Amino acid sequence: MRPFTLKYVFPQRLPTVVTPYRFDARRQLNVLPDGRPAVSDRALLLAAGTTTSTAGSKTHFDD
Amino acid sequence: MTVLILTSEEDVTGDMVVSELHASGAPVVRLDPADLPGKAVLSAHYAHGDFDGHLSVNGQVLSMGGLRSVWVRRPGEPAAHAAHRSPWLTAETRQALYGMLFSSSARWMNHPRNAELARLKPWQLRTAHLSGFAIPPTVFTTSPRLAREFADEHRDVVVKSASGPPPGDPALALPTTLIGPDADFSAVAAGPALLQRYIRKRADIRLTAVGTQLFAARKRARPGQVDGRYGDTGHGWEAVAVPERIRKSVHQYTDLAGLAYAAFDFAEDGEGVWWFLECNQGGQFGFVELATGQPIAQAVAQWLTCLTGGGR
Repeated sequence: MRPFTLKYVFPQRLPTVVTPYRFDARRQLNVLPDGRPAVSDRALLLAAGTTTSTAGSKTHFDD
Repeated sequence: MTVLILTSEEDVTGDMVVSELHASGAPVVRLDPADLPGKAVLSAHYAHGDFDGHLSVNGQVLSMGGLRSVWVRRPGEPAAHAAHRSPWLTAETRQALYGMLFSSSARWMNHPRNAELARLKPWQLRTAHLSGFAIPPTVFTTSPRLAREFADEHRDVVVKSASGPPPGDPALALPTTLIGPDADFSAVAAGPALLQRYIRKRADIRLTAVGTQLFAARKRARPGQVDGRYGDTGHGWEAVAVPERIRKSVHQYTDLAGLAYAAFDFAEDGEGVWWFLECNQGGQFGFVELATGQPIAQAVAQWLTCLTGGGR
């Protein structure tokens, strides 16, 4: 029998987000193509949704 | 003295704190345990009657004697990126890494021992009760009869997962959901169900505690809205003052739980009461800071460098 709670599960369509930043190992943070830290572009971070409370990975459920 | 951040490379919320540490000139090493062994190298020494250990990654070297603090943000599983990964390799690597870090005198945000306990929902409710929060009536049961009695007594009842949605491909969502009056509870016997009286809320509250500093944000809810994480309410997060009674309860909670960082979720009802829903010991704060401008990343950085924020 399927557990009761799982009656309320549904597939989640994750938007395909191509983040225009990459990790810079020397600076230890993600940077934009022009070299600025990704966190300097707040509009981009909000649009990418990478800081939201549903952005946790499968190993981190407690967002 | 160096700050160690355990998180993945793609974690831009971690970037927010790294930027603050860079700006203050504080040494920082960022490590994803998934990169050990491989990109990162570790060595712990017990010799000559003393202990020392070293970590190196991305050209940064960290000595355990120079480790000020550890921020457990979004670490991967140890050895997850190894060429020949296995459960055994993960276990061995976890022993080496965390055993070495626990042997240092660093302060933790949050210590994994406390974090593990703080993730347990029934324990959260008990600790919230001891801390003086208002808590909606809740049951976590495998008894269909008790589930039915709970629903009959409280009428409007939600079901939520204690551990998040099950892993799956495609990804699955499991939001807190209002269950109807005619729900069949027989499947409760197949797995614990967490049922809670629905709070008719006028707003969601996210309160982020960093040491003794508190940052509360409020987002108006739509009529009948249940889980504010899903769907657009048409409203955004705004900074809000923390009532004194809540402030005391939050401090009581984090003291009892031994947490340096915690993100509390409340439902604000029509009379302005903040009902405790849960406390996420590793909760996100990036979306709150971006929306409200509250300096949470700066507070985290300050706590990690021991400049302010109390000693939790």
